Amino acid sequence: MEPVVLHVADYLALLNEVLHDRVPSNEILIEGEVSDYRVAQQKWVSFDLKDEKAEAVLKCFATVWQIGTPIEDGMRVHVKGFPKMYERFGTLKLNVQSIEPIGEGALKRAYDLLKKKLEVEGLFDVSRKRTLPRFPKKIGLITSRDAAAYGDFLRIVNNRWGGIEIDHAHVHVQGREAVPEILGAFRHFNALPLEERPDAIVLTRGGGGLEDLHAFNDEQVARAVYQSIIPVVVAVGHERDESLADYVADIRASTPSNAAERVVPSRADVKYEIDMMLTHNEQRLQFVMDEYRTAAEKIATRVGHILERERERLVMINARLHDRAERWLPLLRESVESSARMLRQVDPTRILARGYAIVRIGGEVVKDASLLAIGREVAIQLGAGAVDAEVLRVNGKGKQKLV
Amino acid sequence: MTKKQSPVDFAKSFEELEKITQWFDSEEHLDLDKGLKQFERGLELASMLKEKLSEVENKVVEIKKRFED
Repeated sequence: MEPVVLHVADYLALLNEVLHDRVPSNEILIEGEVSDYRVAQQKWVSFDLKDEKAEAVLKCFATVWQIGTPIEDGMRVHVKGFPKMYERFGTLKLNVQSIEPIGEGALKRAYDLLKKKLEVEGLFDVSRKRTLPRFPKKIGLITSRDAAAYGDFLRIVNNRWGGIEIDHAHVHVQGREAVPEILGAFRHFNALPLEERPDAIVLTRGGGGLEDLHAFNDEQVARAVYQSIIPVVVAVGHERDESLADYVADIRASTPSNAAERVVPSRADVKYEIDMMLTHNEQRLQFVMDEYRTAAEKIATRVGHILERERERLVMINARLHDRAERWLPLLRESVESSARMLRQVDPTRILARGYAIVRIGGEVVKDASLLAIGREVAIQLGAGAVDAEVLRVNGKGKQKLV
Repeated sequence: MTKKQSPVDFAKSFEELEKITQWFDSEEHLDLDKGLKQFERGLELASMLKEKLSEVENKVVEIKKRFED
């Protein structure tokens, strides 16, 4: 058989065709350790996949968008991809479709790297954390109905509070379907019209290792929590467990039960608070009423004092008056009696009794005879009795004496 | 949505009660008339709230949709 002559490019094309047709790339996960991991122009990723034992090396190529999880040298990974001969370099490279860290150590490193990345981006910023309404009407619950977390959460909610609606989105919390389902649930709640939207979303599951928690450490889930317009409570497993979704959540609850405690208040607490407010109001009102009463009493007391003082003053004045009168009365009596004596001495009747008479005209005492007119009637008062007379002569002049 | 909605909005009533309590605290010299009115309103709110507190059931609605990408 004559050998076929091929140009290099054609030969490589043939190789690629064979590699594509004969290697079942979709069904193979290549396990190895990453080394010489590089990113060029923030787009192109290249690394070597090594086999420690056999000293074998596979060159790998990818874009940053194909690498979901942060990768670092030394990580053990599972890689899926197509082998391809690159003409210009004459090398065979694996065109990577997906890469996943394996084993706790690699997962932990991947987790730490993603955590760092999200932290730098500000997804964990405390300043963006929202508070939940104190009395929610509706809660969106994202978890598996088969998980213990589901029962725990509902039990505690029912113990604490009543009259609300819990919309449950059943999702896988681990395994292949977990991430797309959780993302779908977030989309569902956030797409609801405002009046149907829950007041809070609770994303929860029981505890587990890093491998179990992968969905809660997934970058897309972390971003969905970050982007949710509804405040999110994340609760994973037991106290010690942590996940990236935890860090992004508005509220990080330690357990599913704790998540219930964080989203609904306790009846007993609220009842106590209501009673406290009532008591407080009553005390304030009582205080005000007491104030008014005290003021009224004060006024009454003051008025009483004034009245009392006035009464005392009156008594005193009265006493003083009495006192004065006691001292003044004898003097007064004495003076009245001496006046009476004097008056008695000048009493005209006593003079009249000695033979004098008082002549009056029209009640006026006449002291000068020349003032009298002849024929005028005069009244003469004597010591005893009185006579009326007519003036005949004044100082020798007038009517002739008849005799 | 399907459940009969209680006419009392718990959050709003609670807030109103808190406002009344604040009012009692903030006024230096309370008007007795207004104080009495506020106190009565507080009592009314508290009794509505407590009645609501006695509701024990919560409604769980399963979302029928499948959540996938």
